[in-house]
Amino acid sequence: MLLLGPLGFATPWILSALVTLPVIWLILRAMPPSPKLVRFPGTRLLKGLTDPHPVARHTPWWLLLLRVLAIAALILGFAGPVWKPAADQGLGGPVLIVMDAGWAAAPDWAERQTRALRALDRAGSAGQPAALLLADGRAGGQLPFLPATELPARLRAATPVSWQSQYPEDLDEALAAAPETGLQVLWLSDGLDHPGRAELLAALEARGQVSVIPPLRGRASLELVSGDHPALRLRTTDAGEPPVVRAVGPDPLGIERELARLTPGEPATEAGITTRTIPIDLPSELRNRITRFEIMGEPSAGAVVLADDRVRRRKVALVGDDRVSEGQRLLSPLYYLRRALSPTTDLVEGSLADVLQAAPDVVIMTDQLVPGDEHGLDAWVQEGGLLVRFAGPRMGADEKLGTEPLLPVRLRAGGRDVGGALSWGDPRGISAFATDGLFAGLTPPADATVRAQLLAEPSPELASATIAKLSDGTPLVTRAAEGEGQIVLFHTTANAEWSNLPISGLFVQMLDRLVQSARTQELTLDAESAEQPFWTPRLVLDGFGRAGGPGDLSPVAAVDFAKGPHPGAPAGLYEASERRAALNAGGPIALADWPGATVESATTAPGLSLRGWLIALAALLLAADALGSAFLARGRGGRVAA
Amino acid sequence: MSLTPGQLRAEAEAAAAGLPTLLLSAERLAAALVMGAHGQRRAGTGEDFWQYRPASSGDAVRSIDWRRSARTDAQYVRDREAQQAQSAVLWVSAGQGMDFSGGPDRPTKLNRARLLALALGLALLNAGDRVALAGQPPRLGRTQGDRIAEDLLRHAVQPGDDDPLPVGTLRPGQRMIVLDDFLGDPAPVVAMLEQAAAMGVRGALLQVLDPDEEAFPYQGAVLFRSGSGAATHDTRDAGGLRAAYLARLKDRRAHLTRAADQAGWHFGTHDTAAAPGQALMWLWSVLEG
Repeated sequence: MLLLGPLGFATPWILSALVTLPVIWLILRAMPPSPKLVRFPGTRLLKGLTDPHPVARHTPWWLLLLRVLAIAALILGFAGPVWKPAADQGLGGPVLIVMDAGWAAAPDWAERQTRALRALDRAGSAGQPAALLLADGRAGGQLPFLPATELPARLRAATPVSWQSQYPEDLDEALAAAPETGLQVLWLSDGLDHPGRAELLAALEARGQVSVIPPLRGRASLELVSGDHPALRLRTTDAGEPPVVRAVGPDPLGIERELARLTPGEPATEAGITTRTIPIDLPSELRNRITRFEIMGEPSAGAVVLADDRVRRRKVALVGDDRVSEGQRLLSPLYYLRRALSPTTDLVEGSLADVLQAAPDVVIMTDQLVPGDEHGLDAWVQEGGLLVRFAGPRMGADEKLGTEPLLPVRLRAGGRDVGGALSWGDPRGISAFATDGLFAGLTPPADATVRAQLLAEPSPELASATIAKLSDGTPLVTRAAEGEGQIVLFHTTANAEWSNLPISGLFVQMLDRLVQSARTQELTLDAESAEQPFWTPRLVLDGFGRAGGPGDLSPVAAVDFAKGPHPGAPAGLYEASERRAALNAGGPIALADWPGATVESATTAPGLSLRGWLIALAALLLAADALGSAFLARGRGGRVAA
Repeated sequence: MSLTPGQLRAEAEAAAAGLPTLLLSAERLAAALVMGAHGQRRAGTGEDFWQYRPASSGDAVRSIDWRRSARTDAQYVRDREAQQAQSAVLWVSAGQGMDFSGGPDRPTKLNRARLLALALGLALLNAGDRVALAGQPPRLGRTQGDRIAEDLLRHAVQPGDDDPLPVGTLRPGQRMIVLDDFLGDPAPVVAMLEQAAAMGVRGALLQVLDPDEEAFPYQGAVLFRSGSGAATHDTRDAGGLRAAYLARLKDRRAHLTRAADQAGWHFGTHDTAAAPGQALMWLWSVLEG
């Protein structure tokens, strides 16, 4: 680079073309003006006449000046002028380029590459050796210093990864080849703090001068907050208008598209990070279709949350006697439950021991007692499961009903019939639901009646446990907490034997409310889950947040899986038998600080390039020249028109 | 060239639009001319008195002028001067070169030539001559003026630079008036003059020129182009060519004058900046004289 005061030229040899300007001046000057065209009948008399003393008319000086200025501006423009160019890295010292390569570096990866390539280019032209430290946590061992011309290929091939930037563990080993002093470090930071960054900065500053290039724009990350009501947490480094968060999934035709746009909540700023909570407040049918949430316009793995079991539909296990299904399907209680639940939930059926393996959110048992305790239903409820039980003739006839565990209230054996052939009175209707209860807002239809029920033993807790009752005040649905979980009992059957409630729309709404009230099962990512020691990747995100196949990625041990995304387990969707869990890159972020280092402002760093302005000026001058020429031609053409 | 009836009618209407103005200006010019019949200075059929002569044996009784005879004993016959209608043929060249005007304040040469031709034709008609455009039969009468005007306009601008007199239009005993700029090859004109002299046809050539063609007011680099584009001349210094051009123009006029004189014709020039009456007077005088 040639420096003339505050002006630098990237390719100064082009300036040598300026010596041709006087020649161009002469050529332009000597050029005859274009003749004006005159229609003249006497032309035939002129035939054969020769000009007595040809007069070369000069191009007007201002037109000449315009043209020469335009050519000069072009030459200067192509010489790559830079106003106040950035100070070059010092001469002689080896160059180390540190590139943060985590997901936070993805949004402006191309600009970073360009900047690093420019630095390598300069180092190469100055003959300095260079090294490239890609902070993606994959490279280990000693960092080799090579001639700077060998590195651009590697730099161009590098892509950001879907975990956060990671620096070498063993700094002494990594920097073994680096000189003790005089090292020129160019650190292309993603603007966020990562583990080990302060140590690396200190180690590098001890060896030379560190220039840091922060990213141009702020960063944003998206994280899923699991729980009963899953929400998203949006963290941004700039406190301005929040970016748009959208939910993407297949539409009813199976085409991947935007399903909804989510509205961020109130911002809370702490230490430069603005946090917003975004409730996933969507209809369950829509929510079940969502495959991913993403921040629009932020191509980064940290801005994508893949939906897994925590967001998706509840898993409901149906346990009951299904033997009648062969001939009389409509008599099976499970038939009504299936019809009511299958649109909005995932159903699992089987024996109690089988379904508990699938980690259901809800277990529904119809008309049976709990068969022993070896399957761990008790423990499952204690840990937060929702057990829904339906009464029935077999349950009512069982003599062990009085000692049955896992019931919200004690039941009286035998039950009662109302409105039957051998009883007085009519079938009972359902009374209105309490306005603050679980079923608040639902309206019992007038024709929904109950002909038989299991009665609860009177007790002080009975009133508080009842969440729905019949018109005579006897309980229809009771509920009780059990450890972390809860137990719900319908005092009537799930088929139409005792009541026509299961064939009314109310039944579906009640079940929907119940299932939605279930706590989602926390994904147990702990190492002790002995039955599923490996998670198999199904879908893997790259650093830009684009989904791809897992390739030849091997299954991830549960121990490693719990550590979050890292080189062995990139962000993506993983499966272990029936469970699906997503590893999402976004998480808590913190701003990086750079004590002792030179932070280049991203805007002024490369200096103000004047190339575009000069070429635009040349174009303007040429346009003015065209106008001027046209003006002259018009002035001459005046006589032709007459 | 074949014209559809629609085109013909459209062109005729366009041409007729210019007709009244042409006729009006031509009539005004013609009215200024002194009328005179072409007396043959001998006895014959005519309107005017020529002489009384004694009746001879061949004269019919009813031809005797009894009033004159009553004064003497002899019978006299009243002779009238023989009058013969002459025929004149007009030709206006309509080459591309004629469709030129050097300034907005001047008519094109073609329009001026048409005006002169029609005015002369009307004057000749008033004088009792048969007049027509070349190629048409000469006729007498007032309506012939309208027909001449129509024919003049119908003879539109030709694609070529020159529009010479059609071969074979000369008839013995006719008078011929040719209006052209005579800037093209003079050989056909000279040949026509020789042929006319052989047939006893008299007439006049009127060179109609634009002031620009007479003065050559051009400067600098100019690409000259004739009307049809057939001839071009590129020069860097038009001003330097003026003297040579004017000399050539003078030569051409001298050449034509000489050729006209030899054939008993007259050669005149007319400048479109000048008043048309001047040229008309000249034409009238050379035709009468």
